[in-house]
Amino acid sequence: MRSLLRRVFASPQAGLVMVILLLGAVLTAFAGTHPDRLTGLPVNNFLNSHTLLQTATDASFFAIMAVGATVVIISGGIDLSVGSIYALTGVTTALVLRAQGIEAGGTGTVLQAVVVCLGVGLLCGLVNGALVVGLRVHPFIITLGTMWILRGIAFVASKAESILLPSSLTALAKATLGFGQALYPVPLLSMLLTAACGAIYLERTVMGRHVFAVGGNAEASRFSGLRLGRIHIGVFALSGLTAGLAAFLGAGYYGSASCADATGYELYVIASAVVGGASLSGGKGSAVSAMLGALLIVLIRQSIRTLHLDQNYEWIIIGCAIIVAVVLDQSSARLTARRLARQARA
Amino acid sequence: MHPMSRNATRPLGAALLLVLGAACGGGEKPAATPASTAPAAGAGGAFKIALIAKSSTNPVFLSARTGAEAAAKEASAKGHAVEIMWLTPPTEDGQVQAQRVAQAVNEGAGAILLSCSDAAKVTGAINDAVDRGVPVMTFDSDAPQSKRFAFYGVDDAKTGEAVMKELAVQMGDKGKVAILAGNQNAPNLRKRVDGVKAEAAKHAGISIVGTFYHIETPQDAAAEVVRAQNAYPEIQGWAMIGGWPLFTPTLLKDLDPKKVKVVAVDGLPPMLPYVEQGLAPVLLAQPTYLWGYVSVQKIVDKVLNKQDVPVMNNMELVRVTKDSLGKWARQLKEWGFTDVQDKYVKLP
Repeated sequence: MRSLLRRVFASPQAGLVMVILLLGAVLTAFAGTHPDRLTGLPVNNFLNSHTLLQTATDASFFAIMAVGATVVIISGGIDLSVGSIYALTGVTTALVLRAQGIEAGGTGTVLQAVVVCLGVGLLCGLVNGALVVGLRVHPFIITLGTMWILRGIAFVASKAESILLPSSLTALAKATLGFGQALYPVPLLSMLLTAACGAIYLERTVMGRHVFAVGGNAEASRFSGLRLGRIHIGVFALSGLTAGLAAFLGAGYYGSASCADATGYELYVIASAVVGGASLSGGKGSAVSAMLGALLIVLIRQSIRTLHLDQNYEWIIIGCAIIVAVVLDQSSARLTARRLARQARA
Repeated sequence: MHPMSRNATRPLGAALLLVLGAACGGGEKPAATPASTAPAAGAGGAFKIALIAKSSTNPVFLSARTGAEAAAKEASAKGHAVEIMWLTPPTEDGQVQAQRVAQAVNEGAGAILLSCSDAAKVTGAINDAVDRGVPVMTFDSDAPQSKRFAFYGVDDAKTGEAVMKELAVQMGDKGKVAILAGNQNAPNLRKRVDGVKAEAAKHAGISIVGTFYHIETPQDAAAEVVRAQNAYPEIQGWAMIGGWPLFTPTLLKDLDPKKVKVVAVDGLPPMLPYVEQGLAPVLLAQPTYLWGYVSVQKIVDKVLNKQDVPVMNNMELVRVTKDSLGKWARQLKEWGFTDVQDKYVKLP
C-alpha cells in the first residue's frame, strides 16, 4: 500500500492533480450555495455533479486537441492550425449531411459523420506535415498559413452560416448514459480515452519513442537511422486527427457548425500542453499532463466566475499562469541539471 | 525516465497562488445596485437573472447591463428581491455562451436573459435550461427555434430597410452605396443586410457596390470603411447596420461629409460628433439600455408576477438628427453613459 502511494505521488502528474484538487477545494469552500429546485436543499455552486461535468466538458474539446498538439510539440514542432481544422471539419461534416437532407438520422449518420470528421482532420494534418517536410519551412510558418487557409475554406464553404447537424449526433454527444437529467459524460469520457491512447502511443510504442527522440535531438535521430520526414508527417496527422475528433464531439454537442468555431482554440491548446509540462523546444511532454493542463486552465476560468471575481481579469490571470509555469519550469530544470552535474563530479 | 519533467507540476502551484491572490484581491467592482454583484451564496433567496450578452467589450451591452440592474433595483424596491448575474463572455462566441447558460443553471439562476451570438449553437443549451426549470428570454438577437419564452429587440429586416430608406433621402435617391455589415456569423446582422438590399432594390437610382464584413471592433470597422472607400472611390453613401466605426473619431477626418453620407444603427456617445458635423446626418439608435431594463421587467412579470408576456416584443428605433441631438444626449446621460460630451447635453 505504501509503495503504491509512493508511486502515485511520484508520478509525473501528481503535482498537477494536486493543484487541480486544491483549486477545487478552494472553489468548493468559497463558491457558496443555492437551493435545489426540487428539494430546496442547499447545493454547493461548484461541488455539484452538473458543474463538475460541465467544467470537464468545457475542457474536453481543447484537451482532446491538446493531446495531438502535444505530440507535435514533443517532436519539436508546433501546430497553430488545430482550431481551423476543427472549424473546417465541423463545417464539412454539416454540409455533407445537409446535402443528403438528413435531419435526424441514425447510426449510419453518426458513422458517416465520424468518417468525415476524422477523414478531414487527418487530411488536414497530412497536408500540414507534407508541407513542413516537403517545403522545409518551419512548422510555425506553415501552420500559421494553413490556420488562415483552412478557416477561409470553411468560411467560403459555409457562406458564414451556422449549419445545423442532425439530431442523432447531438443525441450521441449528449447521451446521459444513465447519469441523470442534463448530465452529459460523453465528451469527458472521450477526453479520458484520447489521453489514455495518447499516453500509450507516446510511452509504450516504438513510434512514440521516435517522437521523443526526434524532438530531443533531431540530428542524433537522423544519424540513428530514424526517418524524420515520416515522423513529422505522422505527428501532424495525429494532431489533425484529434482536432477532427474534437470537432465531431463539439459540433454534435452544440448541434451546429460554423466557420467561426474554435477561434483562438490553438492558443488554449498550446497553453494546455505547456502548462502540462511540454517543452516548446521539443523532447518533453505528456498526453495525460496536457489533458490536466487543459482542465486546470478551464478550472481557472471557472474559478473567476464561481468566485464572482471580475471576469475582465480572466486573460491576465491565464496569461500570467502560463508564463509563470514555463519560467519556473525552466529554472527548475536548470537547477536539476546543476545538481546532477554536482552529483556526477562528486 | 519518462521525458515529462516532474518539475513541470511545481510551477502550477504558482498558478494556483495567482488565482487565490486574485480571489483575495477583491471581487468585481460595485455596480449600480448592490445586488448585482452579490455572490450566489449571499443572495438570501434573491431571484437571480443571469445576463449573457454577446460581448463584455461592446459598450451597447454594458448599457444593457445598466438597464437590467436598474430594473432589478426597481423590482427589489417593489418587494421582489432580484439580482443580476453578469455572465457575458469577453468576446463573441456562441459555444462559450452555451457554456455560460449551463453554468447559470448550475449556480441556481432563476431565469436567463441572453443575446445570441450564434442561435444554432445556443439553442440546445437554452432547451436544456428550460427543461431544468429555468425560463430563458432573449434580447437583441433571437434563437427562434429554441424554447425561450420571449424575445425583445428590433425587427432586424425592418431596421435594415429603415437605414436604406434614410440613406436614400440623404443621397437624393441616387448614387452608389456600400453596406457595412459587421460579423457575418450573426443572424440578426444578416437580416439587416437583407433589409438594406431589399429597400435599395426599390430605388432605381441607388446601386450597391458591396457588403463589407469585419471584426466588430471600432478600429477594424473604421479600417474596413477606409479600405473600401479607397477601393471604390465612387461610394457616396454608407449603410451601416451597426455603429462600430463611428465609436472612434477617425472617420471624421477620413471621410468628407460633402461627398459621403452615412446612416448607421446605434447612437452611442462617441457617435454624436458624426451627427453634429453632418457626416452621419441620421442615426437610428437602439435604446440599448432598454434591452436590459425592459427584458428584466418582462422576466419579473412572467416568472414572479405570473403574468402573460407576448413572445415577440418589438423595440422601436430612435431617430437621432442634429435637431434631436441634445435630447438624445441627455437621455444617454440619464441611462448611465459617462462619456456624453457636455456640449451635446446643453443643446436645446
